[in-house]
Amino acid sequence: MKFLVFSENLGSLSQMITYLREKGEVIGVGLEKSSSEASNFGASKLYSIKGDILSDSVAKLLEELFKKEGVDNIFLSSSILGREAAGILSVALGAGIVPEINEISFDGSKAKTKRFYLGGKTVLEEESQAKIFTVSPGISDAIKSDKKSEIFSIEAPQSKIKIVSRQSKKAEGSNIENAKIIVCIGRGLGKKEGIESVKPLVEAVHGEIAGSRPVCLDYQWLGEDRQIGLSGKKVRPAIYVGVGVSGQIQHIAGMRGSKIVIAINKDKTAPIFEEADYGLVGDLYQIIPKIVEKLS
Amino acid sequence: MVDIIVLIKQMPDLEQVKIDSNTREPMIKNVPKTVEILSEHAVEEAVRLKEKYKGKVTAILLGNEQSSAIMKKAFAIGADEGIIIDGYEEHNPANTARILASKIKEIKHDLVILGNQSADSITGLIPGMLSGILNEPLLGNAGKIEVTETTVKVTRILEEDNIEIESPLPSIVSISQEINEPRLPPVMQIMAAGRKPIKTEKIAPVVSKAVTLVSNKAPRSERKKLIFEDMDKGIPEVVKVLKEGMK
Ligand SMILES: Cc1cc2nc3c(=O)[nH]c(=O)nc-3n(C[C@H](O)[C@H](O)[C@H](O)COP(=O)(O)OP(=O)(O)OC[C@H]3O[C@@H](n4cnc5c(N)ncnc54)[C@H](O)[C@@H]3O)c2cc1C
Ligand SMILES: Nc1ncnc2c1ncn2[C@@H]1O[C@H](COP(=O)(O)O)[C@@H](O)[C@H]1O
Repeated sequence: MKFLVFSENLGSLSQMITYLREKGEVIGVGLEKSSSEASNFGASKLYSIKGDILSDSVAKLLEELFKKEGVDNIFLSSSILGREAAGILSVALGAGIVPEINEISFDGSKAKTKRFYLGGKTVLEEESQAKIFTVSPGISDAIKSDKKSEIFSIEAPQSKIKIVSRQSKKAEGSNIENAKIIVCIGRGLGKKEGIESVKPLVEAVHGEIAGSRPVCLDYQWLGEDRQIGLSGKKVRPAIYVGVGVSGQIQHIAGMRGSKIVIAINKDKTAPIFEEADYGLVGDLYQIIPKIVEKLS
Repeated sequence: MVDIIVLIKQMPDLEQVKIDSNTREPMIKNVPKTVEILSEHAVEEAVRLKEKYKGKVTAILLGNEQSSAIMKKAFAIGADEGIIIDGYEEHNPANTARILASKIKEIKHDLVILGNQSADSITGLIPGMLSGILNEPLLGNAGKIEVTETTVKVTRILEEDNIEIESPLPSIVSISQEINEPRLPPVMQIMAAGRKPIKTEKIAPVVSKAVTLVSNKAPRSERKKLIFEDMDKGIPEVVKVLKEGMK
């Protein structure tokens, strides 16, 4: 089989290529700034887009490449841009689409897919003749291949939409997706200064700090690029440590792929304990210093 | 003046959805329906734009015969007219988009406002599909919307940066959750909303075979769930795991 794979995000692009290269030939499509790195994951070709992209121009570009390359399926990362382009593309090609998948296998041309549903509470298993899929971030780890992709520079067609200006975000340039150990703080910290009590733990385990939505978005204790969850990042570290995080379903959706989950929460009925391998019931301000002491 | 169509969806109150411990299936039947979270923000934004620029807000909901309570909520926030299309088919975004688009085509509008990704089904496909079917530009994931006589300008919130984008009217605008805080309508308005007429149209269900549902079950958690209340036992255990993970 032959797949066309698009993401504007290097991490998602390399994850998707890694995941799909076992199942068929992969042709990648990404941005110019990440193409040399993205060429290490085993795609046969890599199209590198020059300049600005918007969802309608990406849809048009993928439509053209779909026809030119004669691929069987198209995969787009489930980002804001990817989901929009996928919707437009499915109409243009009159093709079936399954969104937000986190697993796929093929039986002939029939695709068997899994995706989260009901806000992440359940998993839908579906079978379809769909040609287009949006892919939930973190479908696999990105693993380099010996095979280098040949890079082709390409321009996206003109968009109907005008870009007026661009503002970079209040972000800390974090890279929590690649962290081996993540310490994730929640509203249970009570105050921004509480971060100072958590930092020694982050340092002791050589990890990255991340947060729940209230912490990153509502209170801005951390940069927005450190938010884990349904509307934040999907992470799969070796160890996730949640401190003062209740574990609502929209948060779990972002950390479910973690290999080991440790939770510290003073409420023994907190839902995070249902999703934890190790749980400590108690006050984080008492527990963390003790862990740090024993680690050093 | 802006004439706005706002799309609202209903969803089961997710907090009340329990999982059957035998079948692992969600027990949805008797769970009350609420307005889908992003849709509520969409109505709020549509009404704010109307208050600012004058015009009319028409809400469209593809649901079932139980959807009128949700439409009343849209009225209470300030929607002027409401159309319920009875015939929603779950897990079929292509069908949802097709039905919504054919209704939208019948109504004169400058803007179509909707959520960027719904909180229950998390597909995020309706905005792009509508843009494709209606051939109107999509300004997606708006954190701010400004309208002139002939154009709409939106601050698009992306993962890495925010961009200001602009297109001619009519356009489709999907909104991000941060765009506003939906109001709590005063009791008088809620009462008045209850008396407002709703147009309901029934459509024949289409049985689509494009995608077949195999199962819908809660994932089985394979976590160890070793929960410690005694810190003298718990902390050494956690420290061991952390040290192992750091290697
Ligand atoms: C559409 C949608 C998308 C969303 N997306 C996301 C998302 O991407 N990411 C996300 O995280 N959320 C998301 N949410 C929000 C989510 O539903 C929860 O509201 C949020 O995750 C709760 O954050 P929290 O656990 O930090 O806070 P809380 O739920 O308030 O939990 C705080 C916890 O801290 C504990 N605690 C308090 N004090 C202490 C102490 N001293 N020591 C130890 N424990 C203590 C409490 O027992 C409690 O369990 C989304 C919601 C919606 C509707
Ligand atoms: N059945 C529906 N009726 C009306 N609006 C809908 C329906 N389904 C989705 N929408 C709108 O489309 C947005 C995105 O939904 P989705 O693309 O399904 O994630 C929602 O926030 C709603 O505004």
